[in-house]
Amino acid sequence: MKRFVTSFAAAGLTLAAGYGAASADEIKIGVLYPTSGGGAIYGGPAMQGHDLAVEEINAAGGANGVKVVTVARDSKLNPAAAAAAAKELITKEGVNVLIGGLASSVGLAISEVARQEKVIYIATIPKSIKITREKLHPYVFRTASNTDFEGDALAQMVKRVDGKKICDVQLDYAYGHDLADGFIKALPSHAPDAEVVLTLRPKLGATDFNAYVTQIMGSGCDTVVSGLWGNHFVNLAKQGAPFGLFNQVTYISGGEIASHEIAGKMGADYPDNVVSNTYELWYHSPTEAHKKFQARLAKKAGTEETAMWPMLAYNGVMFYRAAVEKAGGTDAEKVIEALRGLTIETPVGPLTINAEDHQANTGQFWGPMKKQAGRKYRMMDPVTYIPPPGE
Amino acid sequence: MVMPRGTAIVVVLVLAGLLLVPVLGSNYLVDLSTEILIYMLFALSLNVLIGYSGNVSFGHAAYFAIGGYTCAILLTTYEWPLLLAFPAAVLLSGLAAAFVGYFCVKLTDIYFAMLTLAFAMFVWAVAFKWRDMTGGDDGFVGVTVPALIDGRVPYFYFTLVVVSISIALLWVICHSAFGRTLVAVRENRTRAGFVGVNTRAMRHVAFVVAGTFAGIAGALLAMYNHGMYVESAFWTESAQVLIMTLLGGMYSFFGPAMGAALLYLLNVFTIQYTEYWPTVQGVILLIILLFVPEGVVGLGQKIRQQLAKAD
Repeated sequence: MKRFVTSFAAAGLTLAAGYGAASADEIKIGVLYPTSGGGAIYGGPAMQGHDLAVEEINAAGGANGVKVVTVARDSKLNPAAAAAAAKELITKEGVNVLIGGLASSVGLAISEVARQEKVIYIATIPKSIKITREKLHPYVFRTASNTDFEGDALAQMVKRVDGKKICDVQLDYAYGHDLADGFIKALPSHAPDAEVVLTLRPKLGATDFNAYVTQIMGSGCDTVVSGLWGNHFVNLAKQGAPFGLFNQVTYISGGEIASHEIAGKMGADYPDNVVSNTYELWYHSPTEAHKKFQARLAKKAGTEETAMWPMLAYNGVMFYRAAVEKAGGTDAEKVIEALRGLTIETPVGPLTINAEDHQANTGQFWGPMKKQAGRKYRMMDPVTYIPPPGE
Repeated sequence: MVMPRGTAIVVVLVLAGLLLVPVLGSNYLVDLSTEILIYMLFALSLNVLIGYSGNVSFGHAAYFAIGGYTCAILLTTYEWPLLLAFPAAVLLSGLAAAFVGYFCVKLTDIYFAMLTLAFAMFVWAVAFKWRDMTGGDDGFVGVTVPALIDGRVPYFYFTLVVVSISIALLWVICHSAFGRTLVAVRENRTRAGFVGVNTRAMRHVAFVVAGTFAGIAGALLAMYNHGMYVESAFWTESAQVLIMTLLGGMYSFFGPAMGAALLYLLNVFTIQYTEYWPTVQGVILLIILLFVPEGVVGLGQKIRQQLAKAD
């Protein structure tokens, strides 16, 4: 039983040694992205964008003249683990703000910690509408798009391709359900004569889509509206192509499958007749700022063909910097006031956080994915920016 | 059924130490202690099944999650008072364990383990799919915690009291005639049967006890996080609590509690100091399991024996 005491004493000492307080001469940003396991392919690039933003701010003399430091924690794609890490960032590291999150559930869990601890949280990637609607509180802000914006854009695309019979194919989890809700809500106003003839809900993490391919092809729909992201889309495309799925239907998809991560990875396997979205394209510069941002990112990432995720993380940090400078310090209540209605210049143009629902008017680039001469991968052509509804 | 004097002294010392944690003024220490206390209870509950009755469960997270979700939903959706919601959550975990246990104890060894896993994944699937009630994979966020214990330090004391009482009850149960009979069943099921012990019924009761106390831990976690998430019902959560139990030593009553504290601290510290935490953690666990298969408590006994030899 002595060892019981010894282990506790040892734990206590280690804790005491590791305990540090926040100092006034630096601004601490607690950042949470998944950097291990399945989420790392998104979290890794996001961290690059985050680091780029912090480096730029410090090179320019800091935020409000104060040096910015990052304390990063792996969110593990697990809400309870992310909540514990967020609490530790606040109580042990004394961070001034929490930024990040990827999955909707993780975003909601961090948001709950932010509410309890009265620390600002800026959600840069989670899209679940709940964060800025049912579960909205003064301390949470979102700079990502949301499922209502994305669903509205899907409906606009249906009108553009003149789709009449729709197959509604979404993953069976929060994001898929929320996106489907957003789309169904927006469809009558954009394409009143279109109707959903088939609803399919493949499982999250599914790899075999053969049964869905045959159902879609047998339903007689001319347009598939989907949000299958990442490998879900890759598998569907590979399994559907031999059946001629993409010759029969136009495939309209959210979930950023037009981003270069997917197009570059799939190369020649990327199917025809796909219309999709992305937050950013390395080959499309709507502003001069984007060219500079992309060049710096390319240098950091070691490749010209950069990913889409870094900019989301980058914008989150830049919003916080602007708010701190506007508020003249890091006092949470003042920074909240500053963030509400704040507009900043981002690589994709000016973005504004709505004062009411704390949601930035982050639109996305939409367009068909076309083969390009001399390229091994497809590129979006033409690129259209679709702002949030009402803009 | 008297606690050895040495053990009793340590227990009192640890309790006294824990009572003083909030005085140190570190919010972080209070949070960390609360989290560790919850996982200690979770691991100790599993040990009734593993250490005492000799049945390895791969699905213990199910009862943890049922306790957590029930408490969260009753408090928030149905606005029950804590005094009703908490016992109801514990009761439901126990009933669920009684139901699942009925089928599981018909089997033994690996078949038993697989069936517990199957039922646990069933619980996970229900939590995942029943979006209206549980929030699906968004999680059940924003649990209403009664004002009296809704605060860092009050909640820590609440957890300390509940966990202490639970551990005391578990200690009594494990050291009663029932607990000793369980050990007999673990050591030789056939022989225990011949002396007249209804081994299946004994294992069933152990299953229910384990599930009930896991439910208490789950309810505590749901209120602590102000949320409950499907990951808490997933097999990885069952695996984690299993590792905690093995790490500490399953043939000792307090072993799993130490394992829980150790694994949790390991988790917390490796994630703070390196992004390659899974590798570091894996190597540490591998070393412990390869060289000290009896867990931390086993290691202590080994060292003591060596010292005794040296004398």
